[in-house]
Amino acid sequence: MCKECGCGEMNGNARLHFTAKGYTETNVKEVEKSLLGLPGVFHVHIHVHDGETTVEYSPAKTKLMDILGALGKHDIEASL
Amino acid sequence: MEIQVRKNILGENDRMAAENRAMFADNGVYVINLMGSPGSGKTSVLEKTMEKLKGELRMAVIEGDLFTSKDADRIAKHDVPVIQINTSGGCHLDAAMVQKVARKMDLAALDLLIVENVGNLVCPAEFDVGEDDKGVVLSVTEGDDKPLKYPLIFKESAVAILNKVDILPYCNFDMESAREDISALHPGMTILETSCTTGQGIEPWCEWLRQRVEEKQNR
Ligand SMILES: Nc1nc2c(ncn2[C@@H]2O[C@H](COP(=O)(O)OP(=O)(O)OP(=O)(O)O)[C@@H](O)[C@H]2O)c(=O)[nH]1
Ligand SMILES: [Mg+2]
Repeated sequence: MCKECGCGEMNGNARLHFTAKGYTETNVKEVEKSLLGLPGVFHVHIHVHDGETTVEYSPAKTKLMDILGALGKHDIEASL
Repeated sequence: MEIQVRKNILGENDRMAAENRAMFADNGVYVINLMGSPGSGKTSVLEKTMEKLKGELRMAVIEGDLFTSKDADRIAKHDVPVIQINTSGGCHLDAAMVQKVARKMDLAALDLLIVENVGNLVCPAEFDVGEDDKGVVLSVTEGDDKPLKYPLIFKESAVAILNKVDILPYCNFDMESAREDISALHPGMTILETSCTTGQGIEPWCEWLRQRVEEKQNR
């Protein structure tokens, strides 16, 4: 059904994969929440130990700068 | 090439949704697009809503289903005008389908129009039908992991109804965790807990609707 109507394919979501510095066991939950709370962010996965981060988002709704800004508020520095 | 075609389809849906929104605004009717998995309890919540708000708000329902008029028959028992849309396999309602039936309705005679979308936690969230708000019904039997697994529908909805709380003792649904995830996905979203069996939470839901209708009428 979905194949016929093409829904799910048109959303044009982007996947960001990068490493970042500054995650701790105590701040990681809050960082995840801040990212997920952005209108276009659908999925966030963070490895605290090595800073590996995955963010899936819709560039139409949330800009890359907003994602970096949300990270910056928690003093997380991403190397993209 | 394919992408181009799809873009046009979506643009066309948005154009028709805007027409619908203008038509609803002209008639001062508040419209909510109720979505959720098959069997989450959308029609049951509507039946409870009809019982509670009948005589107070002038209501009508558009029922979206792949096949049959079973849900429309359930609503009709409450003496509320109802129109069934059969999508014949289509997994969601779109703005054109809603426009076709809405044009046949006496919208000026309504305060509240509820559109029950096709049971599906994914596709309906992608299609604007011209509603004022989207709402999602999630039942506790589906699991507390669903908000993070199906984020778009929770991002798009103004209200989440966590239904079937009467059977919470028999499920491993963690209410606190579900609420936390929904709030993370959509900060400030209204989250209500309901049971169509006991009637719990139906009044707060109806109160939320009353307020939204009033806000629309004062606009
Ligand atoms: N225990 C319990 N059962 C419920 C509740 N709400 C709905 N049900 C039952 O769940 C089943 C599905 O409910 P429906 O209202 O048909 O669900 P729906 O979301 O409209 O389903 P579709 O339109 O097919 O997608 C029915 O057997 C209802 O009686 C509830 O709060 N508690
Ligand atoms: Mg139904």
